[in-house]
Amino acid sequence: MKCAPFDYVRASSVEEVVKVLAESDGDGKILAGGQSLVPVLALRMARPSVLVDVNRIPGLGAIRPSGDAVEVGALVRHSRLVEQTNHPLLAEAARWIGHTAIRARGTAGGSVAHADPSAELPVVAVGTGATATVAGPSGVRSVAAEDLFLSALVTSLDEDEMITGLRFPLPTRWGFAEFARRHGDFALVTAVVTELGGAVRITLGGVASVPQRAAHAEQVLADGGTAREAARAAADEIDPTADLHGSAPFRRAIAGEMVRRALAQAGIGQE
Amino acid sequence: MSDDGSPADAPTTGSLGRSVRRKEDQRLVTGHGHYVTDVELPRMRHVAFLRSPYGHARITGVDAAAAREAGYRVFTGEDFAHVALRAQSALPSYVETDQPVLAYEKACFAGEPVAAVVAADRYRAEDGLELVEVDYEALPATVCAWDEPTEPVHPEAPDNVLLQRTFDAGSVSDAFAAADLVVERELVTNRHAGNPMECRAGVALWDAAAGKLTFWNGTQVPHIVRNMVAELMGLPEGNVRVIAPDVGGGFGVKAVLYPEDVALCLMAREMPGIPLKWVEDRAEHLLAATHARDHRYLMKAGFSAEGRLLAVEADVTCNVGAYSVYPWTAGIEPLMAGGLLSGPYKLENYRCTVRGVATNTAPSGPYRGVARPASVFAMEAMFDHAATRLGIDPIEIRRRNVITPEDIPYKMPSRLVDDSGHYAECLDKALDALGYDVLRAEQERRRGTDEPPIGIGVALYNELTGLGRAASAGPRMPFRTGHDACTVRMNPDGRVTVISGVTSQGQGLETTMAQIVADAIGVPYEDVDVRIGDTDEALWGFGAFSSRQAVIGGGAAHNTALAVKDKVLDLAAGLIEAAVDDLRIENGEVYVVGEPKPQISVAEVARVAYLESNRLPEGIEPGLDATRFFDPIRGAFAAGAQVAAIEVDRVTGELRILKYVCVEDAGRAMHPQIVDGQIAGSIAQGLGGAMYEHLVYDEAGNLSTGTLLDYLMPTSAEIPDMVIGHVSHPAANPLGVRGVGEGGTLGPNAVLAGALHDALGIDIDTLPISPASVWKELQ
Ligand SMILES: Cc1cc2nc3c(=O)[nH]c(=O)nc-3n(C[C@H](O)[C@H](O)[C@H](O)COP(=O)(O)OP(=O)(O)OC[C@H]3O[C@@H](n4cnc5c(N)ncnc54)[C@H](O)[C@@H]3O)c2cc1C
Repeated sequence: MKCAPFDYVRASSVEEVVKVLAESDGDGKILAGGQSLVPVLALRMARPSVLVDVNRIPGLGAIRPSGDAVEVGALVRHSRLVEQTNHPLLAEAARWIGHTAIRARGTAGGSVAHADPSAELPVVAVGTGATATVAGPSGVRSVAAEDLFLSALVTSLDEDEMITGLRFPLPTRWGFAEFARRHGDFALVTAVVTELGGAVRITLGGVASVPQRAAHAEQVLADGGTAREAARAAADEIDPTADLHGSAPFRRAIAGEMVRRALAQAGIGQE
Repeated sequence: MSDDGSPADAPTTGSLGRSVRRKEDQRLVTGHGHYVTDVELPRMRHVAFLRSPYGHARITGVDAAAAREAGYRVFTGEDFAHVALRAQSALPSYVETDQPVLAYEKACFAGEPVAAVVAADRYRAEDGLELVEVDYEALPATVCAWDEPTEPVHPEAPDNVLLQRTFDAGSVSDAFAAADLVVERELVTNRHAGNPMECRAGVALWDAAAGKLTFWNGTQVPHIVRNMVAELMGLPEGNVRVIAPDVGGGFGVKAVLYPEDVALCLMAREMPGIPLKWVEDRAEHLLAATHARDHRYLMKAGFSAEGRLLAVEADVTCNVGAYSVYPWTAGIEPLMAGGLLSGPYKLENYRCTVRGVATNTAPSGPYRGVARPASVFAMEAMFDHAATRLGIDPIEIRRRNVITPEDIPYKMPSRLVDDSGHYAECLDKALDALGYDVLRAEQERRRGTDEPPIGIGVALYNELTGLGRAASAGPRMPFRTGHDACTVRMNPDGRVTVISGVTSQGQGLETTMAQIVADAIGVPYEDVDVRIGDTDEALWGFGAFSSRQAVIGGGAAHNTALAVKDKVLDLAAGLIEAAVDDLRIENGEVYVVGEPKPQISVAEVARVAYLESNRLPEGIEPGLDATRFFDPIRGAFAAGAQVAAIEVDRVTGELRILKYVCVEDAGRAMHPQIVDGQIAGSIAQGLGGAMYEHLVYDEAGNLSTGTLLDYLMPTSAEIPDMVIGHVSHPAANPLGVRGVGEGGTLGPNAVLAGALHDALGIDIDTLPISPASVWKELQ
């Protein structure tokens, strides 16, 4: 379990990252916190020719309130998200990521770029309608979270692009509920409830290859339904797959329950 | 408990019975432990093993040319085809089979080593593995021991059965005919393993000029390793030195001699003067270190209307994996299951057939509690089920059947002799600590409310510890593990060096051996140092397994220290011209009866013994040392009771442990903190096995739980606070101790399954208990 050989570049600017990635012909990889990438390298499931270490690039580590949103630099560690008070939902979600050591190193940019369907931050990103700032050879663009996640571990980022920051809008009400086998495990199911501009979103993690909006359940609420009814609708509309930790019907039931709990926390649809 | 953790009635002199500061902690907790991984030697090179990606396959070709051209030293199965690990037993039904050092004709489980590459570091060694081409022809794999095999694992055993034995006592058919209730259950326990913090590791160095092999090995059994390696390599045993430095956990997994160990030593002989190092990573460990507890119990128990257990008939199948584990054999789990299934309960009519069945999975081996976490689960399920059917309280039905002190010595139906009988006392104490009546009332109150239901579970068990030559005879292996040796040397300064045959993987053996010797001689604990884990130093020790070391290694240390004490007293008597029977040693000083002041110090006596032969009395040789063996002949049963209260989330199937209590009889607790640590740690492992840990193979024999992402180890966040209590009935051995290393693992399966039955009326037939499995039962 040792990684295959690779070249290593410690980049000092975003431009340098983009340049090295472009020159590597799609064979380069950004190294941020390393908490997802290094295990994959060690298992030799990825064999990039060059690793571009972005940890020393200045200016990517800030958390800044901006109007009705909070801007989070790509290199902000999960532990900082836990501590900050500007975006309580982000703080709550980050608390559920792994363990202390992982939160001390793992980054917001890395988590979103890695696009694990069971990870917390991608669900919050979709749930809050976050946007990612992405730098590439042809300049900087903005990508909405919905458009970022294509499938498990696959994003719409080009191989020579880098996320430099994320903008998470502040929900007026929110709820977060997660079910995992052990403390700190990737979620079997995460439910994020957000109220944005009066509309309620229900977003689920762990039930599909990308964070999934429970559109039907959202409609139930919009039509004046209760949290229980919305929870049932969410359980019905998803199509989770079975794994070692539970059958599809079990995951469906857990998803419904997590939606119910998140709605209760948000104070939405309560009888 | 007082502040230092010792019971209020602890002795005022001596160190036994007190939680003295552990000798090993200075180095272990300050990061100065020295593990095999820390061994760095000049010219050292690193080894990586190529492992079979198939559960079962014929190996039709191995091509290492590209790797060799790239400068790697490569070894393949052919190189060591003349050496095989062949675990032996004289049991009539046992089928002996070979385990190759590196697989060459066929691979029998996914992860079996097929080739080895040597390189300057582990990264390069793994690069080298990618250059070795192996051609496989896949064969049908058998992963479940109770499925019909299509292609046997070993041609010698066409039905894959490596061992089968029937325990028979009384007449079960008559007893069933007379029974008012017959309970039948099929119970399946989950394959899991010890997973010590430190994986396996070895460094082998061949000194060609001296013809000597040195093997640093993270093992629980250095002398057994020496003996076996010498035999397999045809070396004089005195030319093999095995060193087990600090070892980071073992739990039985490291009580086995593995093909990788032997390969390392054989490769070292081919590369004289070059130390070869292999440090197992976690993925290898999950794949290829021994597994355990993959069992099925077909249980049938007969009860009278009053809940008396009349008969048990059982058919136990243990998945022993691809090879008969060396040297313990495929009998290790089945024989233990059959021998101890009836546990602490009185039973006359017993028929139990146990079998060890080979499959295309990693070999099964000893794991803390060997088989009994599963067999206790099976037995307690009978009582829980019968209690419900007969309308008897689950605690009461156990009381009616348990072996009592009046029954001692009690010959169990498997003919093992229980010397304890203190189960009811453990149970009473445990229920008290749990607050049984209050919890039952709360359970009642919650019925019919929305609140999560409460359940109470219980398990009683007898842990067979410190097996002497008679008790360890069962598996009929070509050796008996009943004894250990100890050497005690008093140095010229009066301090003491103990060279013990025990080994430690974190259990604090340096501390307990020092306590025993200090108290037996009468010198301060601080004046005793203990050296363990080097076969060139210690005369003999079988090592750490079967909760044997406190009883056997401790007994040897005690007896040896007494022999040295006698020498000190003889010499002192001559020096101060007093009668030896009037002398006693206390705190490093020699006193004469009736004299309040010491007459001579131990240090002065020791100085004379080594440096001042001019002062030696007539007939006394220089030096103060002794070496003694100890064998308790029989074993010491340690009684235990575990009870817990849980609450269950009916929606998610999650269970939460409200309170977990364990009461055990350690006999005399030499170091209360170490005893509690052993109990707490083994309960934590038991809970891991009951709720989280599960090694799963797919049908082709691929391990689906190949990393700790999928194989869930409990962390401290999953383990509840526990209440640990003690009863203390000294055993019949020099120190009065009973082993406590494993008992904790025996309870949790049964306790949690029983608690779920109590809370929800569901029957847990398959482990582990997960939210998904409870949820399913609730639908
Ligand atoms: C034991 C363990 C438990 C964990 N548990 C959880 C959990 O419960 N929940 C959870 O969400 N996560 C969990 N994680 C993963 C952790 O949160 C990671 O930190 C995170 O997923 C990736 O962030 P990173 O900074 O470590 O990225 P890295 O590992 O460095 O990189 C991950 C991937 O993203 C790419 N990348 C990194 N930064 C950027 C960027 N700025 N732009 C474009 N691409 C980029 C890399 O090239 C790589 O492909 C766990 C990890 C471990 C080891």
